[in-house]
Amino acid sequence: MGKKKSRPVEEVNGNPNMSPMIDCCFLLLIFFVVNATALTVSKDPSINMPSAVSCSELKDANGCIVVNIFADAEKMAPNALKKYQQTYKRSGVVWGVADSTDPSGSRGFSMEETQGLTDYISKQKEFYKNKNLDEKAIRIYLRGDMDAPWERTAAAIRCAAAAGVSNMVFGTLPARN
Amino acid sequence: MARHKSRPVEEQGEPEMEISSMIDCCFLLLIYFLVATSLVSEKKLDVNIPGKPASGGAPPPVEPGRIQVAANGSVTWNDDMPVGDAYDPSAQPGTDAYRAQRNLEQLVEVLKTLKEQAQAVDTEPIVMVNGDPTTPHQRIVDVMAALAEADIHTVGLNTTASE
Repeated sequence: MGKKKSRPVEEVNGNPNMSPMIDCCFLLLIFFVVNATALTVSKDPSINMPSAVSCSELKDANGCIVVNIFADAEKMAPNALKKYQQTYKRSGVVWGVADSTDPSGSRGFSMEETQGLTDYISKQKEFYKNKNLDEKAIRIYLRGDMDAPWERTAAAIRCAAAAGVSNMVFGTLPARN
Repeated sequence: MARHKSRPVEEQGEPEMEISSMIDCCFLLLIYFLVATSLVSEKKLDVNIPGKPASGGAPPPVEPGRIQVAANGSVTWNDDMPVGDAYDPSAQPGTDAYRAQRNLEQLVEVLKTLKEQAQAVDTEPIVMVNGDPTTPHQRIVDVMAALAEADIHTVGLNTTASE
């Protein structure tokens, strides 16, 4: 019986092919970057968010002008108060907005500075309008602290109305029943 | 003249790019955004503030509803019907007191009735929310949640409840 000749084994490169994994990874990365949106930069961590039943998902943050509304200093948690003081470096700030021109990235307004808030909202509105965004999509995202007095929220809404924005979004957390 | 011996050329394989560090960075970014988006689970309540009606215009077909929120957080419908108790900030999630505060059931019922009345004459209901200036923001959000549950999004807001 003749001895069988063994077939030469094809040499295979042992390195795994990484390209499909990198492709998937990049796709996921882009998805999360887009989902995170610019809104996160305007969210002030000093705010203790209120909770609500029947609230809905904020799907598109494009066109949202975020106004943070603070509670009185004595009602803030120690960490939140520290962050608030570090950011605004003065007392009496009741509204906080994102401002890239400021080194802290935020700008604060007191109850007496309603004109400043109105001007800020007008400027942001113009910015979104120049980006060809539909006027209905331009909204004020009110991130009020649960302990903030209502007059601060109402005054912010009046500023928004004066700047010509009538769509409001109240930021909440889902209620834990 | 002696001929130079050519040095043996090192065996060169396929040119490869070192991508492991890029993958590391990519994974780190991926994890960062994954965590950032899942942790921030803020939701929203939409409200549309109606503009000033033209003077001399026809009154709305359905009388606008009025919700008053007092300084202590108690909620009243159309000046005389209590629909929510005083606000208790110490109520803990999971308790009946907390549930009762977040779900203003009586208010939702009257708002649904108003919505039905408005739909019967093919219009949208309008509700005015008068909050005391010192009412906590949380209580107004409870009222807004009740409005959202009744599918009413046109809301007039002011701070004249105590006047």
